[in-house]
Amino acid sequence: MRRAHVATAAALLGVIVSVSSLAQAAKPEDTAATRAQGQALFERACLFCHGVTGQGDGPAGWFLGRYASPRPQNFTVGSFKLRSTPSGDLPTDQDLFRTITKGIPGYMPGFASLPETARWQVVAYVKSFYPGFRTETPVPLSLVGAPTHQLAESLDRGRALYTSFECHTCHGIEGQGDGPVAQAGELKDAFGLSIPTANLTRPSSFKNGASLLDLVRTLLTGLDGTPMPSYAARLSDRETDAWDLAQYIRALSAESVP
Amino acid sequence: MLYRKSTLLVATGILVIIALSSLAMPNQAQAIPAFARKYEVNCTACHTAPPILNTYGQWFLENGYQLPGTEDGGTTGKKKLGDVTLDDVGKYLAFRLVGNAVRSWSFTQQNPAGVDTGVAQNKTELTFPENFVLFAGGTVMKNVGFMVELGHDVEGGGAAVERGFVSFNNLGAQDLAHVRVGKFDPSAFYSVVTIRQQLNEVGESASSSCTTAFAPCSFNRIGLAPSAFATKFYGLYDRGGSPLSPFASSLYNSGGELGLDVHGRPFGKAWLYQVGVVNGANEPFGDSNKGKDLYAMLRYDYGHSDYFAANISGFVYHGNSNAKVQTQEDVNWHRYGVSARATYQMVDLYAAYAVDRINHVPSGVSGAFDATATGLTIGADAYVTNETLLSLRYDNLDAGGVLEQRKSATFVGLQAKQYLRTNVAVFVRNDVNVRKSEGGETAARNLRNAFFAGIDIIF
Repeated sequence: MRRAHVATAAALLGVIVSVSSLAQAAKPEDTAATRAQGQALFERACLFCHGVTGQGDGPAGWFLGRYASPRPQNFTVGSFKLRSTPSGDLPTDQDLFRTITKGIPGYMPGFASLPETARWQVVAYVKSFYPGFRTETPVPLSLVGAPTHQLAESLDRGRALYTSFECHTCHGIEGQGDGPVAQAGELKDAFGLSIPTANLTRPSSFKNGASLLDLVRTLLTGLDGTPMPSYAARLSDRETDAWDLAQYIRALSAESVP
Repeated sequence: MLYRKSTLLVATGILVIIALSSLAMPNQAQAIPAFARKYEVNCTACHTAPPILNTYGQWFLENGYQLPGTEDGGTTGKKKLGDVTLDDVGKYLAFRLVGNAVRSWSFTQQNPAGVDTGVAQNKTELTFPENFVLFAGGTVMKNVGFMVELGHDVEGGGAAVERGFVSFNNLGAQDLAHVRVGKFDPSAFYSVVTIRQQLNEVGESASSSCTTAFAPCSFNRIGLAPSAFATKFYGLYDRGGSPLSPFASSLYNSGGELGLDVHGRPFGKAWLYQVGVVNGANEPFGDSNKGKDLYAMLRYDYGHSDYFAANISGFVYHGNSNAKVQTQEDVNWHRYGVSARATYQMVDLYAAYAVDRINHVPSGVSGAFDATATGLTIGADAYVTNETLLSLRYDNLDAGGVLEQRKSATFVGLQAKQYLRTNVAVFVRNDVNVRKSEGGETAARNLRNAFFAGIDIIF
């Protein structure tokens, strides 16, 4: 069983690495011309929500969450939810590319239909909104590792971690997003807007992806600007605990994840 | 259908049961119609409040149901069948159901529907479902989209293809020209769109004499529709002799017309043009009107940031033998309109003004026919909470047509809509006649007040 897990994870990582390499192959150099092409695309496809200055205040942006979170990403403040980097860091180019490609369930359609080069051009333009991208080189957290325990054991360990990390206070004991803190309406995002808690029984709605690897990444990076913290420091044995907790979260739902 | 007062309670009970039933549905069945299912986003990505589109939704519509800035028809994940790509059925199909219970209060001597005796009567009308719409839409390949909308109007009876067209997009260059062929709503890109209203159009109640071709027709109860879109003339008939309601949507602002439409943005993002030719004459599929109607629309858009968007547009519609008068002579019925819309955060403001004119009044009605009529509609929708939408609309119709029949009307409508889920809303609405009561058999002056309670479901 353990061998099967390792093989699955290795295959998964292999696919991700392959896709990543393929995408990188189409990545143009970050030049003024690239950014100009990205700007043209941005103003046709992204401006409506993110606004012409990238502040997340586009003409259609308010309606996404209305009086609640989320609002469209403000690219000018340097705080990004969907990253593979430590909390507080900027996302990598690959992170931005992944979000543009896959979208965010419920809120942003994926633009996989755009040519890869076009998506990279948009990445280059989006980065131009925040000067920090010119001086910092974001480094992703190491996500090496794979489920090391047999599934039953992993689920037991994950359940214990779910309790000890008090995940249930927000996500609820059954993971339905109905924990006492969530029900009290106390959760706010960085803009002070009420933010709903993720319903862990509906992985298709997970903003940062629903695969095991996506969950491990989310646990380690957190979602900056939201109440979801990074557990990188608390998951002392990152290569086992994160996977166990991710396995447990996935087991909360019968939904299949592609 | 006429019911006694107690049936209103029964109807309300039914609505409540349906509303509660919808709450019990699993989340997967959430009101995410076809396009939202396809792109895995909420309705709010494209709508301010369904069915009204925000700027993103407008560009999605212009682009033939493809994401703005893309041209692939959303082929990702679809099944290939030669050059055609097919999506899951659930990503093509959706339906909408609207039901009303109506209680109306009349001034004196309003005729009850179907009985032309001039008796004053308050009444309750229950129509549930009032309107059931099944629509299938999407893309089949790069830059080819389609929409078929089958509607069933319980009060009017029968089902009909309300819209059915194919679109060919991005011809020549991106956003240069998009072509729609079939039966479509010409006003789709106008600042105030006919079929996208929060206060739904309510049909009039006509007297039994209206079933005879080219016979004088009186209306027992006024129809409630945006006046800018309305026919505005008393004493006009379609080519088959059926009377045209002065209160029903028509011409450029019709629900659907058969023809060809071209629109695009060759002059930059801010300017949208639209030109088209339609069968006109208020005809469904089929064509007895050999003189086609032409129209042109130009819209200017502004909207970059600060959650603000605005646009202003104007159009000219040139009718060609598109109606008849009682003497069965043809008329050329034209319309000129301007409209504007602005959205800022939770508020959506709009206004539309239209002038209808009939050139060369036939000699048979000359001197007894006013050839000019105008309609003004001003409205606002506002989310006062995440789930509560308030809508207010003012309508003024300065009617034209047969002088002894015509009667202008002014109404104010207010609606409160509560979204129980993203796809299920219950609403109450009240329309008040602002003009002085005259009584008699003039529908435009004898309806005092109409109250509606209903439900709006989209799947």
